[in-house]
Amino acid sequence: MANDRLGGYADAFLAVAAAEGSPDTVEDELFRFAEALRGSESLMATLSDRQLPVERRQAVVEDLLGAKASPATTALVSMVVATGRGSDLPAIIDETVARSAAGRNRALARVRSAVELSDDQKTRLAAAIKSSTGTDVEIRVVIDESVMGGLVTEIGDDVIDGSVRRRMAQLRENFT
Amino acid sequence: MTRRFRHIAGVLGFITILVVASAAPAGASEETIGSCVVEKIAELEAAGGSLHALEEHGGEELVAFEEELEGCVESPSAIIPAIDEIIWGGGAFLVLFFFMATKGFPAVKGAMDARAEKIASDLDEAEQAKVDATKIKADHAAELAGAKTEAAGIIDAARVQADELKSELAARAETDIAEMRARAEADIESSRAQAITDLRSEVSEIAVGAAEAVIKANLDRNAQSALVDAYIDEVAGRG
Repeated sequence: MANDRLGGYADAFLAVAAAEGSPDTVEDELFRFAEALRGSESLMATLSDRQLPVERRQAVVEDLLGAKASPATTALVSMVVATGRGSDLPAIIDETVARSAAGRNRALARVRSAVELSDDQKTRLAAAIKSSTGTDVEIRVVIDESVMGGLVTEIGDDVIDGSVRRRMAQLRENFT
Repeated sequence: MTRRFRHIAGVLGFITILVVASAAPAGASEETIGSCVVEKIAELEAAGGSLHALEEHGGEELVAFEEELEGCVESPSAIIPAIDEIIWGGGAFLVLFFFMATKGFPAVKGAMDARAEKIASDLDEAEQAKVDATKIKADHAAELAGAKTEAAGIIDAARVQADELKSELAARAETDIAEMRARAEADIESSRAQAITDLRSEVSEIAVGAAEAVIKANLDRNAQSALVDAYIDEVAGRG
């Protein structure tokens, strides 16, 4: 039942993004907003608090996305928050991105990096993953400064960690 | 001679001595000195004389009269009492003897026999008490000997138990000491290992922290790009 609900919202998101003519942009904004939600418990709590008036929760969404995201992205997020499903928003967005990639016969590759990747780097990374795993992937970059340097790629349950953070951890383990 | 006759003879002799000793002089019993003097004076006056005349004339007549008067004061026989006293004394003696023979002697004899029997009984009782005391003493001695034997046994048993307990406590103490020593050594080793681990951890934190600081300081845009490119090449190289 929960999966049906997530799927319904995901399909709706994809339909709105396609109708607005900028599915990639909307998906990317949604993806980044979901990562921001996962990184902020207070923001997640605020958007999930049904005791808070709907207008107040939607005002928060407007403050966060209004000037930075497309109107379609802001409207989709605001709609989910208004229905009281704020706590499901990350799962809905993940399902949306996954279904979009699957529609193009690709797998979602969640890439964590301390800096933004260039398009060339994204293309080369996708080609490298293709040559390494045989899977076409769609790169979604998450800016995570804790990575320090290098990249961490998650494809499903597989993780390819080439970050400076991991090497620092290995160095710490070697010391102890 | 029986004991009874000896008692009787003794009593009779004692009474005889009392009668003889208590008999008054014969003269005293018949006439007094005063009456004798009065009688001599009366005989003098009957002969036509007088005491006054004798005093005036003096001489042999006066000496003779004085000798007559001195005859009045001569004592009767000291051994043979007067007849009436012998009669009265003998009667009294017989009465007393009869009374003593019929009443006194049996009573005295009964009392003496009772006293003798009582003394004999007391002697028997004393003898029995002595025997009983001897037996009790022997019993006590036997009990004492048994108690001493039992006490000695108890002491020996207690000594054996004490020795066993001492050995057990000593063994336990040695075991405890060994365990405590082992625990202490283990604690020391654990503390040493923990200290080394803590030191290593602290050193690694310092070293890694320093390394991170250096890396962050040198991770500019080009370095980040180079790291990404190196990562892409690594992933590509896996195929």
